[in-house]
Amino acid sequence: MSTIQDFSGYNPTWCPGCGDWGIGIAIKQALIQLGLNPSSVAAVFGIGCSGNMNDFLNAYAIHSLHGRALPNAIGIKLANHKMPVIAIVGDGDCYGEGGNHLVHACRGNHDITVIVHDNGVYGLTTGQSAPTAQKGYKSKSTPTGILETPINPLALTIISGATFVAQSFAGDVLHTISMIKAGIEHKGFSIINILQPCVTFNKINTYQYYLQRVYKLDENYKKDDFKTAVQKSLEINEEKFPLGIIYQVEKPSYTDQLPQLKENTLVDKKRFTDFDTITKLFI
Amino acid sequence: MIGFTWKIGGEAGFGIMTTGVVFSKIATRSGYHIFDYVEYPSLIRGGHNAYEVHVSDEDVSHLSPSIDILVCLNKETYEKHKARLTLSSLVMFDQDEFEIKEDIKKIVIPFKKILSDLKGQPIMKNTIALGASIGILGGDVNELIRIISEQFSKKGEEVINFNKKFVQAGYDEVKKNYSKEILERLVKKPGDDKLVLTGNDAFALGSVIADCRVYSAYPMTPSSTVLTDLAAWQEKIGMVVRHAEDEISVINTAIGSSYAGVRSAVGSSGGGFALMVESLSFAGITEISIVIFVAQRPGPATGMPTWTEQGDLLFSVFSGHGEFPKIVLAPGDNEEMIELTAKAYNLADIYQMPVIVMSDMYLSESHKSVNKKFVDDFIANYKINRGKLIRNSKSVIKESNNKYLRYKITEDGISPRLIPGTPGYFYQANSYEHVEDGHTTEEAQPRIDQVDKRARKWVTYLSHDFSMPKIYGEIDKSETVFVSWGSTKGIVLQAQKLLKTKGIDSAFIHFNHIYPIDKEKITELLNQNKKYILVENNSWGQFGKLLMMETGIEIKNKILRYDGRPITVEEIVKYNNSLTR
Repeated sequence: MSTIQDFSGYNPTWCPGCGDWGIGIAIKQALIQLGLNPSSVAAVFGIGCSGNMNDFLNAYAIHSLHGRALPNAIGIKLANHKMPVIAIVGDGDCYGEGGNHLVHACRGNHDITVIVHDNGVYGLTTGQSAPTAQKGYKSKSTPTGILETPINPLALTIISGATFVAQSFAGDVLHTISMIKAGIEHKGFSIINILQPCVTFNKINTYQYYLQRVYKLDENYKKDDFKTAVQKSLEINEEKFPLGIIYQVEKPSYTDQLPQLKENTLVDKKRFTDFDTITKLFI
Repeated sequence: MIGFTWKIGGEAGFGIMTTGVVFSKIATRSGYHIFDYVEYPSLIRGGHNAYEVHVSDEDVSHLSPSIDILVCLNKETYEKHKARLTLSSLVMFDQDEFEIKEDIKKIVIPFKKILSDLKGQPIMKNTIALGASIGILGGDVNELIRIISEQFSKKGEEVINFNKKFVQAGYDEVKKNYSKEILERLVKKPGDDKLVLTGNDAFALGSVIADCRVYSAYPMTPSSTVLTDLAAWQEKIGMVVRHAEDEISVINTAIGSSYAGVRSAVGSSGGGFALMVESLSFAGITEISIVIFVAQRPGPATGMPTWTEQGDLLFSVFSGHGEFPKIVLAPGDNEEMIELTAKAYNLADIYQMPVIVMSDMYLSESHKSVNKKFVDDFIANYKINRGKLIRNSKSVIKESNNKYLRYKITEDGISPRLIPGTPGYFYQANSYEHVEDGHTTEEAQPRIDQVDKRARKWVTYLSHDFSMPKIYGEIDKSETVFVSWGSTKGIVLQAQKLLKTKGIDSAFIHFNHIYPIDKEKITELLNQNKKYILVENNSWGQFGKLLMMETGIEIKNKILRYDGRPITVEEIVKYNNSLTR
């Protein structure tokens, strides 16, 4: 079994108290508990404070462009659908710059796990507002308050076709570990929106703010009911934050539906050589 | 060379394209070579569609100035194309639909009446026209019936027989009323098996030969049929074709799959490629192999979507922010498209960089017959070369600290690349500048080392895999030296032949390895005391600018065309004759 040490690269450069610390530990723990090691998992990082985890987490990894981690992750999965693929991204990264990719990754039920650091700000570029910031949130790029209403990542992904949608809080590492594990074990598109205080730039969505507003879904919650899940996800519009698996259903993933991947992965299959079956189409 | 041009025109949406391909296949199955060209507006219905096929007893990749048989399914066809008729041309039309007053050779086929008698759909006018065309050209009607049977094989005997009646009606009409006009132009003769391919088909075929396993694209004219070809074949050939949500996702999907170890490609036209370029730069710094097919059309922006231009050359050569090496190739015809596409995958793997294969509407959508033997021989001789790809733990070159270095500084600039999933190792492909093991750096020396390492890959390429332009004719013996790149090849070659008949020797330097180039050797080719003429399908003379940048030599004589139409053989000859030294 792997250890935390096996997965640890450089020492993190996150601000003291940043929610990323908790998420970073949770990801490593989840991978260890799933019996994975740095050679058996692929991770794609976006650009941002979250993406900087590229240097702190050992794995076969791509440190992508801002917003583009999801199509990279999908590409890895197409080539090697037996390898678990996770995307470690931020809210600006995934819900702003890469928003289109998110919607379509959900639609395709691509078997990747998207771990979103949702702190409502762009930390790495010093605190401009992110798509999840509450309406009216004042930042350097929105000095009189942001005019747009926030993205609801839970509702958006559920209605777009995601088959696993969860939420956790960076202040609750044990719960976050369980959510990441469940997401990776899920066959199909999984997303874990992690509420994460930015201690340096976001003075509103603090640990205290979240501690007063988060609650765990109880055991009787019906996570496989679409309407219930949509209803539940709308609570965040009222600043109530349910934690747990909001929605989960079993559906064939994208690669499950490709007959050409039934026998083997693309990377391991034999070369196609029956060229006459193609050339004859042109005679 | 003995040849003729058959052209059919009608309203868009009425099957002109399919009819044209069937005609081309009848010609190749009858032992001839073909080159065809389509004209159509960016509309699904309405507007004018035209399709011409240049049939020849020799290999051909240019259009003829005149039309020998013009099949007019509507009046507009006649009006639009009558300028290219000669005294001996035949015009096929239906007198019940419109009148032609001019004194020309008319082949009147009662399309309307036949449709009504046999209770056919308006679209079956094409079938009648094909039957009549084969009749007037002295071709084998059974060959046409065979193709129709193949086309409708899934729809059953009844549909096939119904269509046969329309073929026969058109054919009989000619035999009955125009037996004296029949030309012996399509008489069946022995010949090798030929493939009727567009440039896009050739790229798709080259990709299959090269073992591409992921193709990702978003539809954009004129590149879309690569996507539809490969999508149709994917289950058979074991490829995954992803029609992604946008071109940014397209290229990043391929970057992901290439990172994971499979040959991957993307395709688009200039606009879609423009969306990809940030990620092209990403592939540049992460040293991820990727093949990019760019089928140009006239821009800027949406431009003229269904017409042709070579306007994206400099954009492609300089695409992507920051300094990183890439290779740009531009095949001149279908044979080169197959060869260079397959080579592009090798180059991408060997040099771990983006390789761009350029086409344009003229090459991408025109069919040109290719001898099947050429393709079979190429397949037999093609060797996949994946460069410094490591497939298992045992082959990993370990450093003293037992680490694997993805971006190891090497003399040739190329570092060993490990397939993810290989036990005992890991690495990151980092879009940030990085040290040898892939971790991010902002230090000065490692930055310089990595920039220099990447740049050395170009040096290695130039000495190992760059091909000098092909020279047709002899520079020493010629006053005129044409210089062109990509799809204008066949047109210039024909202009040379025409000049030769007038006693004028010319040489032709045709580039298909566009960038980078060997400056010294190219300079030698361009600094002779000759009348150099640059031939390009754009308004800036972009390749001329690139050559000037690299060699300091400006080619002042330029044939540039940018009205969306291909350059013609005649305008090249005319331009050459207009120059006096």
